[in-house]
Amino acid sequence: MTATTAPSPTDIAIPTPWSVRLMPYMLLAPAVLVTLFIVFFPMVQAVVTSLYDLILWKPNASRFVGFGNYARLFADPVFWTALGNTAIWIGLTVPLQMGLGLVTALLLNRDFPWRGLARALIIIPWALPSVVIALMWRWIYDPNTGVLNDILVYLSVVQSAVPWLADPDLALYAIIATLTWQGFPFFAVMILAGLQGIPRSHYEAASIDGASAFRQFVHITLPGIAPVLATAGLLRVIWVANSMDVIFVMTGGGPGYATHTLPLYAFVRARQNLDFGYGTTIAVTFTILLGAIVAVYLARTMREVER
Amino acid sequence: MRIWKKLAIGAALATSLLAGTASAETVRFWYHFDNPENPMDDLVAKFEAANPGIEIEAENVPWNSYYDNLYTALVGGNAPDAAMVKLFAQPRLIEMGALEPLGERIDAWPGKADLLDNLLELNKGPDGQQYYLPIQYVVLYLYYRADLFEQAGLKPPTTCDEFRDAAIKLTKAPATYGFGLRGGKGGWDQWGAFVLSQGAKLEPGGLTTPEAIAANQWLIDLFQKDKVIPASAPNDGFQEITAAFKNGITAMTIHHIGSSNDMVKALGDKVSAVPVPECGGGRWTSYGDESLAVFSSSEVKDAAWKWISFLAEGENNVAFNKATGQMTVTKSGSENWTLHERRFVDATVQSLPFAHVLPQNTATSEFVNTAWQTAMQQALTGQITSEQMMQQLEALFAQQ
Repeated sequence: MTATTAPSPTDIAIPTPWSVRLMPYMLLAPAVLVTLFIVFFPMVQAVVTSLYDLILWKPNASRFVGFGNYARLFADPVFWTALGNTAIWIGLTVPLQMGLGLVTALLLNRDFPWRGLARALIIIPWALPSVVIALMWRWIYDPNTGVLNDILVYLSVVQSAVPWLADPDLALYAIIATLTWQGFPFFAVMILAGLQGIPRSHYEAASIDGASAFRQFVHITLPGIAPVLATAGLLRVIWVANSMDVIFVMTGGGPGYATHTLPLYAFVRARQNLDFGYGTTIAVTFTILLGAIVAVYLARTMREVER
Repeated sequence: MRIWKKLAIGAALATSLLAGTASAETVRFWYHFDNPENPMDDLVAKFEAANPGIEIEAENVPWNSYYDNLYTALVGGNAPDAAMVKLFAQPRLIEMGALEPLGERIDAWPGKADLLDNLLELNKGPDGQQYYLPIQYVVLYLYYRADLFEQAGLKPPTTCDEFRDAAIKLTKAPATYGFGLRGGKGGWDQWGAFVLSQGAKLEPGGLTTPEAIAANQWLIDLFQKDKVIPASAPNDGFQEITAAFKNGITAMTIHHIGSSNDMVKALGDKVSAVPVPECGGGRWTSYGDESLAVFSSSEVKDAAWKWISFLAEGENNVAFNKATGQMTVTKSGSENWTLHERRFVDATVQSLPFAHVLPQNTATSEFVNTAWQTAMQQALTGQITSEQMMQQLEALFAQQ
């Protein structure tokens, strides 16, 4: 790069014509316009809406309240509950998915009969629609007819059926287990791809040097898949943070506020109570919080691109 | 907001352009049926044959998000011309200016005389105008397992004390429970039978009286102390309570005639019904209404009216109710009613004298949609007390 920028004495200043200079921008324009229209315009609209007291069924009572909605939000105990739940939701789901995905990928990377079939089957939970998964697990957890309690009672692990989704202390964790099951194949597949990119010769060299299996894992495997783990992990944080479909179908945010996360709370306020001003305020606040994580992700991809 | 208005105008322009080019008038109609056997196509075909020049576009919108979709469509300017609607939504729809008054049209309609007495009176808007045309009704009553009651030497309960006594005797946890309570979405109508019967009212000062708090506490105690309700109750909706009852896990539950055919299919003669018990000297059960309305934004109001009045006439209404499993609103249709077993029709008719609708104000919508369920779940799981729950709910009605 640096070599070509050195000024050369034979250069004669011929100005590039405008049409040529504009060319790249013209080519970019359609993509930029579409993105502006379908991403940035609604985002700006959301920020504006959050400054209004806007309840859909009272269209005439709508008025500008400045940061009034934000003041209300920070004084709202449900917001803090939902924020705490969101932290638990992301903080448990992503590491669990990653851990389970790592173990699965290591298993699938070994040679065994029908490996191709196993690799194909493992993707099923991820390929199922969220609503189907939510309904399925809702019945699995059902204390009266569900299979999970049946098994646990049969094995004498518990004395009587546990109301997994109806107990405020358990409901969130029950849903996290469901989402972990749904999301681990994503990690498994990504990590598997990473594993196959590690040259065999590294392991051979290590075993000649007498490195144990554990040391090989720590010093060859982990560094080899580290970029994959970081990128997939960041992406997953964003997806998991925003996903509320499974929670919505399984508990609707209940019992009480026990499984409210911020995106769900925003949805309930805006769509079910039709309080668009307040609902959008929650959404904008959450976007800003999540923006910090996205910034890390962007910084990272930039670095990779430059590499 | 301005953008909504712009969108609305845009959508209206687009539809008027479309309407201008099409030769026939198209009526867009929203309804919600759970039943897979949907007679709507037959009804539409019959109507279109009788009314050339009118086309019906009937759309079955899922119940769980029916009102979310309807309100959003109304504000967005993409509303249907006519739709199935319930009374609790009426005040909101009127406040939005979304409803077309139907009074004159109903007066001029020959089918008016065939409507059951008093239904139009019940359906009147809070401002005394008629916006709703009744289409079906149900009344909530108590389902019970006749065989289990007989084995235990019990009679179906007529008072809350008898109800609790029977529930305790029939509970053999974890195999069976006395009562299946709907603690999730839509359970307010069961709650009403125990709490609104004892003088609680959905109005400022109406929910926090000592009697109302005690009545609510009594219901919470059934779950927490007597343990006659399955532990899953706080998250249970319609699917769960009916599945538990049909599988013999609960001995009593509260619902309406709409589920009776399903119950009979699973349990035969072992299921029967009586009106909900009398609690503390009062009796309250929910009158489950369903009506049709024409929206003020419609460009084809006359055609829309023709269609909805068609659905409320004699045999058409019977065909409509065959799909929903509810009761016809016509006198001619009621005479030879064969869609339900007699004992369930009797329980419905016996419940009519004390069947009520919720007060018509805008807070009721929020109470029904989200507030009741959140508060009840918190109270059942011990996060808040009965008193706090009632205060939370009352705050909703005090706001306006």
